[in-house]
Amino acid sequence: MGRKLTFEIFRYNPKDPKSVPHTDGFQLEETDSMTLFIALARIREEQDPSLQFDFCCRAGICGSCAMVINGRPGLACKTLTRELPERIILMPLPVFKLIGDLSVDTGTWFRAMNEKVGSWIHTDKAFDPAAQEERMENAVAEEIYELERCVECGCCVAACGTANMREDFVGAVALNRIARFMLDPRDSRTEKEYFDVIGTDEGIFGCMGLLACEDVCPKNLPLQDQLGILRRKMGWTALKNLFSFKRT
Amino acid sequence: MAIDTTVFVRERTGLAAYLDWLQALTGTGLILFMWSHMVLVASVNLGAGAMNTIARFFEDTYMAQVGGPLIGITFLLHFVLAARKVPFRSEQQSVIWKHGRLLRHTDTWLWLVQVVTAMIILIMGSIHMWTVLTDLPITAAKSAARVQGGFWLVFYLILLPMVELHVGIGFYRIGVKWGFIKRKDRKGMKRFENILTAIFIAIGLITIVRFLTLTI
Repeated sequence: MGRKLTFEIFRYNPKDPKSVPHTDGFQLEETDSMTLFIALARIREEQDPSLQFDFCCRAGICGSCAMVINGRPGLACKTLTRELPERIILMPLPVFKLIGDLSVDTGTWFRAMNEKVGSWIHTDKAFDPAAQEERMENAVAEEIYELERCVECGCCVAACGTANMREDFVGAVALNRIARFMLDPRDSRTEKEYFDVIGTDEGIFGCMGLLACEDVCPKNLPLQDQLGILRRKMGWTALKNLFSFKRT
Repeated sequence: MAIDTTVFVRERTGLAAYLDWLQALTGTGLILFMWSHMVLVASVNLGAGAMNTIARFFEDTYMAQVGGPLIGITFLLHFVLAARKVPFRSEQQSVIWKHGRLLRHTDTWLWLVQVVTAMIILIMGSIHMWTVLTDLPITAAKSAARVQGGFWLVFYLILLPMVELHVGIGFYRIGVKWGFIKRKDRKGMKRFENILTAIFIAIGLITIVRFLTLTI
């Protein structure tokens, strides 16, 4: 006989004028290896078919099911109920636009963020489809891959005090993206060009080092180290260009 | 992050970086000053003569007369620089307060401690500097008389932990922000910072008690 779990789930449908933000309680008997995703699916199937939450891969790869679990952002599919107390409070991620209940629109935010920081390889080289792919050192490829593991779930942004207070802050996810392209030998952007993207208070200098991003990242990305590297790199770039910032 | 709705070209400037550099450098300078200050004042524990000799040295070399106001300016500059990040709008204050309570995350709380202590230090630190620097020379007898008066005892019992907390957390924060403290060292450094803060508060309390019991 498993524990009797009590779920308190945030409910609100912004599209319905009659809907008022409130919390609904559900009870469920815990089963072996139960994840929050399994619990939510059961609640929806057995108790309330109107409950909205996002999921896709169920394996911590797609990043869809991020939500605030007992105060901390995390992935529902990667969170085992046995790691949580009997009373589980679920809320949607802050910062992002609420679709309904636990479902938020991270897509619009991430699209805008990726466009803002130019999150793709910038190169002048013409693409030759017949040529062999350029090679890079294995060590470099591994370093890039380590940062490329980000699933854009939005947990780092939701956990960030700065991003919660200031909507213009790009968040750890964007800075991690830039760190990734800085490592990539195929990207021809110079340090000064990177500085134009993140050398501001919306970028790396807006980060206050609260490190909640580092502590909640479900993929355990090395965000603390990357943010430190970026601040130092961009700090040096600024000093090197002390007298040469010009409007171009 | 706001979605761009305007079309404009932002001026290319390194201002944010320079301000961040200055914040870290003034912060580091003040941390080193505060730790040295504590050790120097604590010299009274070795005897009033020890403290008087040290104070005399700083006045004879004009380090107190010139350095004092310079520290004051650095202190105010550091406040203005760090205030760029402090939530002054009630809307932001409410967001960060709710966020902190929901997240229950130590480093986020530590930042809020820094913000609150900063406001108290701004006022009390200014009063302390003004009082001491307008009444040179510094002697153990004068300091003891102040503390024994009662008002300044309460004043320093509040200011001491505020400063040591702010300085200790600041030391850790500069380390993680600028990447000197890496992921693998973070836990250890946080422990080190906590111990260091506790040691300095203890030294401070012992020194206050010494002033309290010093025969003038």
